[in-house]
Amino acid sequence: MREKQKFFKEPFAYRLVLFVLCAAFTANLSAQNQKTISGNITEENGVSVIGASVFVKGTTTGTVSDIDGNFSLSVPESSVITISYIGYHPQEIPVAGKTHLSIVLKEDNQLLDELVVIGYGVMKKRDLTGAVSSVSGETMKDKPVASIGEALQGRAAGVQVISSGKPGDNVSFRIRGISTINNSEPLLVIDGVPTDLGINSLNMEDVETVDVLKDASATAIYGSRGANGVILVTTKKGKSGDGSISFSANWGVQTATGMPQMLNATQFASLHNEMIANYNQLASSPLTQRADFADPTVWGEGTDWLDELFRSARMRNYTVSYSGGSDKGNYYVSGGVFDQDGVVSNTSYRRYTVQFNSESNVRSWIKFGNNITLSHDIKKQGSYDIRGTMASLPTQPVYNEDGSYSGPGEPAYQYGDIRNPIGTATLSRNRTNGYNVLGNIFAEIKPADKLTFKSLGGIDFKFWDQNSFSPKYDWKPIPQPQSSLYEESNKSLTYLWDNTLTYLDTFADKHNVNVMIGSSAQNNLYNRMNASVQGFLSDNNSQLNNGLTDPTVGGTKNDWAILSFMGRANYNYDNKYLFTATIRRDGSSRFSKENRWGTFPSFSAAWRLSEESFFHANEWIDDVKVRLGYGETGNQGGIDNYAYFTRLKTGQYVFNGTPVSTLYPLVMPNQDVQWETVRQFNAGVDLSLLNQRINLTLDAYLKNTSDMLVPMSVPITTGYSDIYVPSVNAGEIRNKGLELTVSSRNLTGQFEWDTDFNVSYNKNEVIKMNDGIALFTGGDINMTKVQVSAEGRPVNAFYGYVTNGIFQNQEEVDRYATQVTGGTAPGDIKFRDLDNNGVINADDRTFIGNPFPEWTFSMNNSFAYGNFDLQVFFQGVAGNDIYNANRIWQESMSVPQNQTTKVLDRWTGEGTSNSVPRAVYSDPNQNVRHSNRFIEDGSYLRLKNLTLGYTLPKSVAQKAQLSMARLYLSCQNLFTLTGYSGFDPEVGAGGVDLGTYPVTRTISLGLNIQF
Amino acid sequence: MRKIAYIIGLLSVLTLFGSCSDFLDKVPYEDPSAEALTDEASAIALVNGAYQPLQRPKLYNMRIWTLDIIAGNSEVGAGGGTDGIETVTLANFVATADNAAALDIWRGPNPGILYCNTVLENVPKMDIDESLKNRSIGEAKFLRANYYFILVQLFGDVPMTVSTPKPGDNLLPERTDKMTIYNEVIIPDLKDAIELLPVREAYSGSDIGRASKGAAAGMLAKVYLTLGMYAESLQMSELVESLGYTLNSDYSDSFGGEERHKNTAESLFEVQYYGLTKAGFWSDENQANWLSTYMGPRNTGWVGGAYGWNQPTQEFVDQYENGDLRKDKTILYEGGPDFDGKSYKANMSNTGYNVRKFLVPLSVSPDYNTNSANVVVLRFADVLLMKAEALNELGRTTEAEEPLYQVRKRAGLTNRGDVENLTTEQMREKIRNERRIELAFEGHRWFDIIRWDNGQYALDFLHSIGKINATQKHLLFPIPQKERDANPNLTQNQGY
Repeated sequence: MREKQKFFKEPFAYRLVLFVLCAAFTANLSAQNQKTISGNITEENGVSVIGASVFVKGTTTGTVSDIDGNFSLSVPESSVITISYIGYHPQEIPVAGKTHLSIVLKEDNQLLDELVVIGYGVMKKRDLTGAVSSVSGETMKDKPVASIGEALQGRAAGVQVISSGKPGDNVSFRIRGISTINNSEPLLVIDGVPTDLGINSLNMEDVETVDVLKDASATAIYGSRGANGVILVTTKKGKSGDGSISFSANWGVQTATGMPQMLNATQFASLHNEMIANYNQLASSPLTQRADFADPTVWGEGTDWLDELFRSARMRNYTVSYSGGSDKGNYYVSGGVFDQDGVVSNTSYRRYTVQFNSESNVRSWIKFGNNITLSHDIKKQGSYDIRGTMASLPTQPVYNEDGSYSGPGEPAYQYGDIRNPIGTATLSRNRTNGYNVLGNIFAEIKPADKLTFKSLGGIDFKFWDQNSFSPKYDWKPIPQPQSSLYEESNKSLTYLWDNTLTYLDTFADKHNVNVMIGSSAQNNLYNRMNASVQGFLSDNNSQLNNGLTDPTVGGTKNDWAILSFMGRANYNYDNKYLFTATIRRDGSSRFSKENRWGTFPSFSAAWRLSEESFFHANEWIDDVKVRLGYGETGNQGGIDNYAYFTRLKTGQYVFNGTPVSTLYPLVMPNQDVQWETVRQFNAGVDLSLLNQRINLTLDAYLKNTSDMLVPMSVPITTGYSDIYVPSVNAGEIRNKGLELTVSSRNLTGQFEWDTDFNVSYNKNEVIKMNDGIALFTGGDINMTKVQVSAEGRPVNAFYGYVTNGIFQNQEEVDRYATQVTGGTAPGDIKFRDLDNNGVINADDRTFIGNPFPEWTFSMNNSFAYGNFDLQVFFQGVAGNDIYNANRIWQESMSVPQNQTTKVLDRWTGEGTSNSVPRAVYSDPNQNVRHSNRFIEDGSYLRLKNLTLGYTLPKSVAQKAQLSMARLYLSCQNLFTLTGYSGFDPEVGAGGVDLGTYPVTRTISLGLNIQF
Repeated sequence: MRKIAYIIGLLSVLTLFGSCSDFLDKVPYEDPSAEALTDEASAIALVNGAYQPLQRPKLYNMRIWTLDIIAGNSEVGAGGGTDGIETVTLANFVATADNAAALDIWRGPNPGILYCNTVLENVPKMDIDESLKNRSIGEAKFLRANYYFILVQLFGDVPMTVSTPKPGDNLLPERTDKMTIYNEVIIPDLKDAIELLPVREAYSGSDIGRASKGAAAGMLAKVYLTLGMYAESLQMSELVESLGYTLNSDYSDSFGGEERHKNTAESLFEVQYYGLTKAGFWSDENQANWLSTYMGPRNTGWVGGAYGWNQPTQEFVDQYENGDLRKDKTILYEGGPDFDGKSYKANMSNTGYNVRKFLVPLSVSPDYNTNSANVVVLRFADVLLMKAEALNELGRTTEAEEPLYQVRKRAGLTNRGDVENLTTEQMREKIRNERRIELAFEGHRWFDIIRWDNGQYALDFLHSIGKINATQKHLLFPIPQKERDANPNLTQNQGY
């Protein structure tokens, strides 16, 4: 059942009662025949309608329906009565010959009257000229996920949500593709305050709606920070009427799924023997075989390290809230606790939130309000490393005979060199505490009838501490001789002051005007202090004061500021022709005075075809609106706060035993750094068909990023660091795509079925980069980079060698181009000689994959029958590649680490395999070099959520003094269809899988009660 | 009431306009900028910064002494397998352009050159004491010459930069012919340094250890010798002699972790260390000496760390003559004198030997990251041997006897007859072997063998010890692939 905007109802009802009572006293009693009719008014589902107005048409004679939906009225015999109620189609009924009427009101589903939050204001959805997606809190709540970020996945076309799955981690958003290689995160605005508070600090229960501004005409009002889109979160307000108290609880169990299969001890022992034997064939100093591997069969299964590390974990979520209001004001207060154990041993996340929202109409011309979010979260974990756990040898038990944690022996090439992963996950303690205060207080003044002045002051204070303790332990191979403690304390304080002046007017009944001008000032101060010390007497008393040796300290401070001025004008003629223009001027402290200011305009227009006289209203199409928009927005995300300064770092040296200070330039300066600009064209059409049963939105966009800030590729010969590099404006990127959203009410009546479907297509290309020189991006994997941004290719495209089968015999090796002299042998991988020069080297690399999905899609089907409801939600992506970097070690068969079962198909002689190479220690042919060997298709379709709910019938609920009670069973990540062999095809925004967390399947039971 | 609220609102917006100009001016809290420096302390700090890259593992703390492994004096050893594999591949002459050790050593001198250029651009403009200014310029020039000398010996032609990058500069330079670099940077810089730098005795207290006239002269002697300019080299060696440097009575006095081992009478220039400070052991700003930690016999706990690197080969050990005191002081071998009360066994390393020269006992440096021993870059024994070599190559073989004998006498080889009545070829052979033994594991061997006989000596020697993969191309390291990806104007060395 679709939620309606009910908040208009109550005040109207009471006003109507007042009005009607007056009217009744002044009613003209006519001399015509009067009779009394009575009746009962209900909704389609049988619920009584309270406060519907019943009038004799054309008169002021009337009444309202009572608490049971009944009414009684004295009317002239030949009159017609009209029954009306906000949100429903009015009805007219002639009373001739009737004394009792049973009236059923049908909902007037004017979805188009829905309000949507846009920057610095609200607008009716029907008046939008830009591309905005709205997701209501109702669709997202009651899901067993930690944060609203994960609940947003798949709910809005063009919005890709990438979640890592780790407890307490934030999700990443991508709106309409990736428009920059820098920070591509959209701007998050919570209750009007732009914030870098993670979205996981909010309690899902407190969220009313999430509006996503996607195209430039909508985001340009946020100017410099809107280039990646804007996500506006609005928390709940109290509704007028009797206050309500609600309580919700959710209990769930999570399990890790999709675990790769690793070798057991017997399989590993034979692999190890083969690996060493193949190495010894050509080595000058052969290695010794492990004596205890002489007969692999005696080993059996061995240790399953992944199984030891992962466990089923439970999750609990409780929220209590109370809210209410009247025409004098409203309030909403809630408190919640979220407690999640991680599926990795010894990890957990707990979050407390308190939300306090209120609005007060102190006078008719001034309103005050505030929204305050307080949250506190605690993340705990040991020191774990998923890839290290995969790599540990199955022939090594978890514990030694004396109960201590085992470790590899010597030499490393026989026993490996990884510390016991279960031991470090259990004994090390890492704890991060966060305390956040996000709040705003505002005043809205109406100095004149059509003018509103709003001033809002906001704060975003974040405090977080980190505490890491690793105990003294005789780990193998390298012991920790002293226990050590590291502590860090951070604070980030942001202040905001926004002022807007809005003028709303209608001229000659047809010209509607809405003009806004405003200013916004925001600044931030960040401070960090850290310390470490070693040598503790006892692990239980481990404060900094308890440490004995090697104290170190550090700390820093930095700040930034933004000042902006903006204006917006909306004009519509008779709701037929709509125009919007915005302009914003931003100054940022991150750029030098010459480059400081940027101006970002936008224009958009819409034409409601269905209001035209030539448009014949028919039963197929109710509403057609076409939209066109253009806008410019800027981006400065990810660049250093003092990017344009030439800075010297303070270091140290020593002369004759006396330490001295040094000053040296570390980071290449870039005085000319300036705004990155995104220019976006958007064209869209909104259709409402079949009596508003089908609503369809189609958008096409073209997004050009210019002066893109890219990390400079600093040659080491400049002397500047090639790791700590500045950003330069040197790139242009183009994104183009299509978005389609369809909502349809397929079946109404006893059995309801609604479908929401969205699909989007995005194509991404680098138009210009660094004067034609490809930029290697991403982190170093195995000491080289595998991603590059080059002209004519997608951003961060994968770049490497191309495989060409396996050498089956020595003759093939000799005939082929030179790979590694003295290293290549039968069983090794052949790489293509792309430049045909007889040598395989770095010039034989090419583009081997694209990390960004071309298609993202999702479909939600809701069913309702009686008091039961069912939601089935699918979500997926297609067209992207993943570089599975875990395979570099776990499939290399060249290091003393456990391998996946894929290596059971390895080459062992001529003709045995043409895809998996031989096992050979130290990989002389570099079979693991970056190539398409480890590129996999990342497409997937996931049954993301399945929820079955039962709402207690009103009669039963009322007996327990409840106004609503609902029980539900909800499952998250039930199953995934994918060809990807790693843990989870959702590998993170970079497209590289290196120690990614597995997919967690959660099954939960929940309860919602309202008093 | 309404009107008052209206006015307040307008006023607040207007005050906002008024305060906007300062609101966006933010300066860094932590890092000063070069243009803002005006006082002596800052000038000295800038110069100190130019020394620091020498301290890094990319140069003297690790990569420079691993050159002896590549030169065949020793093996990597360590944990075996992939431990130190980047050095093993270089030492076996199978390295490719993505070799991690070549990249690491490429990262060593380049920042140092930038820091020297920063000093040379900013210090002359400062309003400070003239003698301090001259000294600073001299120090920066000495260091810059030193950094370029390392680069051209190892990589051949490299880009030549004598100023800090400015907006609009070409940041993708091509490689400059190495002779140009010698003639335009290295030699003129060292000559200027000799003029500007004070003598060693002029330094006191916490200035001891800074570059001095003798250091610059000694370095220039080495440069000339590398270029085959024997007369000029001889002149420089004699200049060093005239400045009063002497050999220490005990060979070991130049190495070791106590105060008396640092900045001795024999030392021309050392890289200074302090031990433990707030910088982590693995960071670029680490102030602890790595040599003892790395070269201690593996898993013995004889010194802090003890990773077992740099294990001398049998062929090297066989070079010691009978009665040579340096054997016991340079290497650990079974049957040799105890170290810190402990007896060495041959099974403590793969080759049966470890380096002893740089080990610092636990009583002096208790942990892996507390060693404050300095690393000697240039010492007087080296100068004497350079003098002998120059004299011999100029045909003055008999005059070469005395400096050679001085070095040998200190080593306990007191029979002067060993160095008398030798032909030029015999003397040459004697001096070359003497250099190998005297300067063992100090990072000079590789530079020596690639300059003798235009590199043919290196190839002959390496082949003789079984490194058959060594060819002409291996006399230079490959330009790192990562650098070539960032700067396509860099050509690769022939054969890689």
